[in-house]
Amino acid sequence: MNHDALVAVARAVFEAAGGTPIDPDYVLPADIPLELSGEAVRARLCVFTDNRGAEMAMRPDLTLPVAQREAARLEAGASAKTYTYAARAFRLPAAADDPFEFTQVGLERFGYAADPAADAELFALVHRAVEACGVQPKSIVTGDLAIFPAFIDALSLPAVTTDLLKRAFRQEGGVRAVLDEAARPLDTDVLAALDAADPEAALGAVLAARDVPLVGARSLAEIVEGLRARRVAIDAGGLPEAARAALLALRDVDCPLAEAPGTLGALAKTHGLTGADAALGAFAARVEKIIALVPGARRTAEFRAGFGRRFTYYDGFVFEVLAEGLSPAQPVAAGGRYDGLIAGLSSGRVSATGVGGVVRPDRMVRVRRTGA
Amino acid sequence: MSRLTIAIPSKGRLKEQTEEWLASLGHPLRQIGGERGYTAEIEGLDAEVRLLSAREIAQGLIEGSLHFGVTGEDLLNDLAPDGADDFRVLKRLGFGGADVVVAVPQAWFDVDSMADLEAAGAAFRKAHGRRLRVATKYLRITRRFFAQKSVGEYRLVESAGATEAAPSTGTADVIVDITTTGATLKANGLKVLRDGVILESEAAFTQSVRAEFSPGAQAAANALVGAFARSDHNF
Repeated sequence: MNHDALVAVARAVFEAAGGTPIDPDYVLPADIPLELSGEAVRARLCVFTDNRGAEMAMRPDLTLPVAQREAARLEAGASAKTYTYAARAFRLPAAADDPFEFTQVGLERFGYAADPAADAELFALVHRAVEACGVQPKSIVTGDLAIFPAFIDALSLPAVTTDLLKRAFRQEGGVRAVLDEAARPLDTDVLAALDAADPEAALGAVLAARDVPLVGARSLAEIVEGLRARRVAIDAGGLPEAARAALLALRDVDCPLAEAPGTLGALAKTHGLTGADAALGAFAARVEKIIALVPGARRTAEFRAGFGRRFTYYDGFVFEVLAEGLSPAQPVAAGGRYDGLIAGLSSGRVSATGVGGVVRPDRMVRVRRTGA
Repeated sequence: MSRLTIAIPSKGRLKEQTEEWLASLGHPLRQIGGERGYTAEIEGLDAEVRLLSAREIAQGLIEGSLHFGVTGEDLLNDLAPDGADDFRVLKRLGFGGADVVVAVPQAWFDVDSMADLEAAGAAFRKAHGRRLRVATKYLRITRRFFAQKSVGEYRLVESAGATEAAPSTGTADVIVDITTTGATLKANGLKVLRDGVILESEAAFTQSVRAEFSPGAQAAANALVGAFARSDHNF
């Protein structure tokens, strides 16, 4: 089968699961991916400037423009739907043999119950599309972006530290970069201003006394907020050794998916993290359903605690399917859950759960050629 | 480019100090066409010498259109897509020194470190519905450093000049810029973050890793590096 034949086969698998075919805008304001995901995505984004100097981007995947359209529909009062597509996406190559443009065939499902069964069904659907294209998965890497936040919550740290660790987990340097930063004391005149009747006015007086101008878009009120958060972290005395040990142990989990519920459960027990029970229960239920729907996953699928943390808008179950002859950076299929995406795109005006997955026929052509 | 091609800065302090360095090695530079010419000769070497801007030299070394050149490490690091593997520094020259730093308004008493900046960026995004803006001409260095420090809550604004004024004019809140004494930053109400020194840059005699050497160019290159090594024991 050539590329277009694989596209047709994969498309038929997704369309059989129901959904409206869609081919949304090719060109997006670069603000959409950059404000949503940060500068980290710029390295792969095909960006250009329009005649007025505004930065625009070619769609880097289909999830983003499909979700953008869905957010607009939901704001207009429509109800959430499921979409399928076989459409072009554009990325700056990460490796010499990566193409600039390629076809993704996939599905995005909005507004369904965000439960383990929905995750497992999406996984099974994408797996079926890969097999229908005549490719046998060599290995499947899975992760769960809700596990790390659940562990952090269970550590009962000050909110400011909790939030910082959760954000750091999603960044390239990881939590290590943040863990290594010790809390440092604040100047006494600045601390005194915090305890004044009107902290903003008092801080303004400190600025005047030091002859420091207030430049930039952050207000005195925001600086006061930041100082309060710093003081809470300082009073808490930094991250306790026990919390640090728990997070570093979790970070290193890498095991067969079938064993992951046991491994994570044991880890939570060792470190006394009963607060993570709900997240671990959902995780175990998902693993059980995945193996019931795709028995081969018992052999091929693994779980890595840190996997997918750089997939910017995903926030739950994530997976990538790897095949013979391609590098681990070139999955033939991928997908996951992004329940916060619609809210992020609409500045919180509407929200809807979301799961989606795609296959890459161009890569599957290469796998089939190697296998022949 | 069968002849050995070398580039040195075409103007300013960097040019003068490069000329002094070459003269100290016993290979003085002679500019062709007087002070306004853009080619030159290095005495005792069979080489084409071009006078270019520091940015053009860094670009030429990375692409491979120059064999050797003298330019700033800040530009080399920023223009190289794959970082330090894209060029080979043969000698740091001890002049043209400056630090590439992350600076924020002094009024941000709550922000002393990159981790504090990350927290401020997250709060800013919640309050303003957009990301904190970082003005710089060093787009790649900045992106790499912020990623390594786990700071994701920001947007880059490309700055063509007078980066230090960006916070007071409102085009950005934070800057990444080059500084020698810090006086310009201070005059603009800015401070360098405690762990915000990205790169301690100097002028560097640099070899291209992509340029192809013809047998003639290779012979001239060997003579050049050999002569430099004889005159400068630290080479």
